Amino acid sequence: MPINEIAGCIGCETCVKACPTDVIQMDLNQGKAYIAYPEDCQICHLCRLYCPVDAISITPEKSIPVVVSWR
Amino acid sequence: MAVSKENQAKPSTSDNKDAINVSRRTFLGAGAAAVSVTAIAAGAQASSSMGAPTVVNLPSVKDDEFTSDIIETDVLVIGSGIAGLFAAIKAHDAGAKVIMVSKGRLGSSGMTPFGKGVFSYDKKNTKMSEDDYLKKVATSAIGTNNPVFTKLLLEHSYDRVQELKSWGFFDSPLCFDSFSKPMNERKIPIFERIMMTHLHKEQGRVVGASGFSVAENKIVHFSAKSVILCTGAGAFKPNGFPMCDLTHDGSIMAYNIGAKITGKEWADGHPASAANSGSSYDNWHGQVEQKPSIEGAEIRHDLGVDLNYSAYMNGGPVSMGPGSPSEKEAVVVGGPWVPEEFKRVGGPPSGDNGGDRPSGPPPGMGQTSGLHAIWAKLTGQKQSAPQGPPGMMGESVGGSTAGMSIHKSEGLVPIDANGLSTIPGLWASGDALGSHQTGGIYTQIGSSMAGSAVQGALAGEAAAKASKLVELLPIPMDTLAQTKTDILAPLKRTKGYKPAWVTQVLQSVMIPNFVLYVKKERMMDAALAYVEELRDHHVPMLVASDRHHLRLAHETANMVISAEMKMKASMMRKESRCSHYRLDYPDVDYENWNAWITIHQSDDGEMILEKQYWDKWPKFS
Repeated sequence: MPINEIAGCIGCETCVKACPTDVIQMDLNQGKAYIAYPEDCQICHLCRLYCPVDAISITPEKSIPVVVSWR
Repeated sequence: MAVSKENQAKPSTSDNKDAINVSRRTFLGAGAAAVSVTAIAAGAQASSSMGAPTVVNLPSVKDDEFTSDIIETDVLVIGSGIAGLFAAIKAHDAGAKVIMVSKGRLGSSGMTPFGKGVFSYDKKNTKMSEDDYLKKVATSAIGTNNPVFTKLLLEHSYDRVQELKSWGFFDSPLCFDSFSKPMNERKIPIFERIMMTHLHKEQGRVVGASGFSVAENKIVHFSAKSVILCTGAGAFKPNGFPMCDLTHDGSIMAYNIGAKITGKEWADGHPASAANSGSSYDNWHGQVEQKPSIEGAEIRHDLGVDLNYSAYMNGGPVSMGPGSPSEKEAVVVGGPWVPEEFKRVGGPPSGDNGGDRPSGPPPGMGQTSGLHAIWAKLTGQKQSAPQGPPGMMGESVGGSTAGMSIHKSEGLVPIDANGLSTIPGLWASGDALGSHQTGGIYTQIGSSMAGSAVQGALAGEAAAKASKLVELLPIPMDTLAQTKTDILAPLKRTKGYKPAWVTQVLQSVMIPNFVLYVKKERMMDAALAYVEELRDHHVPMLVASDRHHLRLAHETANMVISAEMKMKASMMRKESRCSHYRLDYPDVDYENWNAWITIHQSDDGEMILEKQYWDKWPKFS
């Protein structure tokens, strides 16, 4: 998993806006952010760094295959 | 007109014949095919419940729920990185009414959040004269830089850096607060999370732009006297580099209304670590958490394509860390040519630095490659930390910036020093402008961030001045209606191809080192055939199930056009120079190729490539 958990969200929506690749959405019923499109996470950590309550945890693995120029 | 009439009624069908030889606009204009969406969808759903493998697109948002806004302004700035910031505030300060629109959020989209070095040419405290600087950049860039823009970097970077300092930019690893300060003081409105897809041209000049919100069901049309593209560069959503939101949106919008594009043959060659190669954060080892710093004058010849060449010739693993096998292993013969004075055999490159970091690499770090040296420079004296940048420690893999050329060297062709494009009323700055500030190679750490600031400011002032001389021209109602249809087309299709799959196919075709980095005619021709297939058959059938996937659909369409440009420009340039390396033409060809390549679309949709000699500036299209 890339971004893999949002625990203790206060619903400020900062991570939703700060994510360059639109991975995080707001659950309007719960008033909390959730991870909607983990496959598009570029694992840049901006959401985590902008989160005011340190609610986001991220792991370094992509959830979809990675295409590289050699291996 | 941004939308051609012949495409209005042309449906996208599964019939190959109809789909071939149509421009991207047909992808956008496929509304007519989906007249009875509900009926078809219901039928297909029934069949899939019977176990048939049919996948039917049943969007969670309905295209008819989208409303449209029309917003008027003098200057529209598209993009919210460092170029957009300076474009907006300088246009405002020059007396224009300004609006900024961003696919993401201020200071949190594109590569700006991750650019930690900012070059400042401090005339009072530098040992390197302007003339020496310009000469040396031209030598390193083998003539590919445009000295007009290199000089602007020297003239204005110090002032821009002082402004950044005053807003607190260098006091925090995150730039939202420092960027917000001058924007809030000027009360410049920002429209966030809107992907722009169309520019509009009337009576020979740009009159506005349109896009859609990824946050709500809304189409937004901007009617503007001047538009500045600060949309950054782009890539193929590669892994290990934080640029998956950059898909050349600005260049392709501009290309679609006839603007000239340049620099597509250059190739940024950043590698990633083999372990967790998809993680931008881990590859740059938390650099995003560092505060930005000021960089002094120090001219380099930093490739990255050389690593791809090395891996291509000898196979992996390719390692770059201190004491790593590659330093002791066989020297690779051939590959990209490096000018004599930039061949590093020990010791830091010449330069007086003058920034706020120590010059040269820390002790113990090798000088085997430019990227290695960059990391040494970036980390300063922290070399004891068991960390490294992409591929600098342990085994590397390539392609982490696949699809990007070189900062400042791809994008709209400028016709003047302010970044005016070949279309009246349309400016570009930063990575959206093909200024060739340092040519087809990296020659100066921090020049990308500084160049974006410098160019953004100049474009902002110029666009504000030009706005005073023209009236706001309305965008015709039929153009607005057609644009909306075009934007929403992927939501209306019941069957088609998912953007993520088309992107994966594109990545698999383009990213291997024998296509994008170590080039040869036959492979590029083969890759181009794939790209043209995607362009003609798959892009017109892209589907979107929600707003996020609608964004991916438009991004995918842009990447496919960019891939076509990259292959065609790389095939045209029958030589090797800087970051463009051809196995079949390995030498620099001074006789025929002291030129850039420009690309534009003819009236009948053909992609036209032309040479632009270095001493010639183009005129309006």
